[in-house]
Amino acid sequence: MEITVTGANALAFPNLLVWDWRVALYLFLGGLSAGLAVMASVLHIRKGGALAEGETARYMAPLYVPIILGIGMFFIFLDLSNKLNVYWFYLTIQPLSPMSWGSWGLLAFFPLSGLFALAVLPDEKLHWLQLPQLQSLARWLRTYLRPLCYANLGMGIFIGIYTGVLLSSLIARPLWNSSILPVLFLVSALSAGAALMIMVAKKKEVKLFFTQVDILLIAAEMTLLPLFFYGQYTSSAAHRASIMPFFAFSHEYLWYGAAIILVGVILPFAMIMKLIEIREGHSHELTKDALFKMNLSAVLVLLGSLIIRFAFVYAGQLSQFS
Amino acid sequence: MPNYVMVVDQRRCVGCMACIAACKAENEVPPAHFRTRVIEKVEGKFPELRMEHRSELCMHCDNPPCVYNCPTRASYKDDETGMVLLDPDRCVGCKACIAACPYDVRYTNPKTGVVDKCTFCSHRVVAGQQPACATTCVGQSRIFGDLDDPNSDVSRALAKNPSETLLKSAGTEPRVFYINKFGTPK
Repeated sequence: MEITVTGANALAFPNLLVWDWRVALYLFLGGLSAGLAVMASVLHIRKGGALAEGETARYMAPLYVPIILGIGMFFIFLDLSNKLNVYWFYLTIQPLSPMSWGSWGLLAFFPLSGLFALAVLPDEKLHWLQLPQLQSLARWLRTYLRPLCYANLGMGIFIGIYTGVLLSSLIARPLWNSSILPVLFLVSALSAGAALMIMVAKKKEVKLFFTQVDILLIAAEMTLLPLFFYGQYTSSAAHRASIMPFFAFSHEYLWYGAAIILVGVILPFAMIMKLIEIREGHSHELTKDALFKMNLSAVLVLLGSLIIRFAFVYAGQLSQFS
Repeated sequence: MPNYVMVVDQRRCVGCMACIAACKAENEVPPAHFRTRVIEKVEGKFPELRMEHRSELCMHCDNPPCVYNCPTRASYKDDETGMVLLDPDRCVGCKACIAACPYDVRYTNPKTGVVDKCTFCSHRVVAGQQPACATTCVGQSRIFGDLDDPNSDVSRALAKNPSETLLKSAGTEPRVFYINKFGTPK
């Protein structure tokens, strides 16, 4: 069969390319901040807050959430081709548009994560705030720490899911059009959040607790990924064709093949490292060697999460409904 | 209220591409961008070959994924005409509508940053004229009109001939109908 198209737009032919690295990076950073928000809340809720005592991550992790989210939002802003109209996101609510939910969700999550970061700031760090009004606000917010904790946890889960729903609602792109994708993105976001928490935490008990959490999350991620591909393979011809870039292992799809191999190696490797970490008999203070291994496995998890976002954003645009 | 649709009679298309040129001139479509395209498809094995000309444009779907995915309601379904239109003052250029369209008929205007597409030449239609592509079509392959009017050209063309819509299983309920001499290609 021979096809000639006169009047094709380069944006859509031979395949779509509307969302690039800026969107992929936003989805990663948005997911990471959401995951870290959930883990920071868990740290404060766990054992009635006893686990967080004497731990620098109890105020450093909540502080990183709005910073990471802000950087992510900057990249998605860069992607808008008509930036001056950005205020229109907040002059309407479109219930069928996940991007509309997301923009409203971010409007709630960003200040909420900031308030949470203020509420958990200890007395000895209040001087960071400079302004006495902010210091008074931080002290006042401490009385609402528990509700803030739960709200932060809920919004973290919402943002983690939304980054996947954003893609999965598009029938025109079969790779994204799967209900497993939002769950996969949420689990990947939580896993990345736990990994960053391990890097930020100083206490051995906290590091080991989040290592255990991350093992479960990586196991869930490693179950969801094959299930996703299996679901696509057994669906329509377009869905089956949509996953081929990952498994063609040809020159044309080199990066997609490399991505699936990397994720297939990185995640199990990180999980094995973590399993060894929790079984090892650690001294009261973690040795340099143990800290290196923990940080390395956490970096691998973050890398896996980043690769998943980039691979899915680009491969999804290769897939077509017809 | 009119129920505007377009019928593309593929039997009458000569592949002159005048519709593309007329559309670009009428709507000041920027260079290297198009609101409509013509696909020439050759199928079969020699000597049993067949060629199909198919002009494609926005399908002005009754169940439009672009409208559902637009976060600012810049893309909307016009209640009076049934056309899917775009309000450039509300468009933020997030490109969700471009990704949502199964027909890949949208693009971003590089000058304005606003997403653009076929409007069935709504500015001409409200003035009682036909879209530029239908007016210029030498073979009268592109037929535009009110489907609710039994005497309109589109109603008569669809009554006389079997027709089909593109990507029916997407459930978008397009308003562009195709009359194909050979029927649905296998």
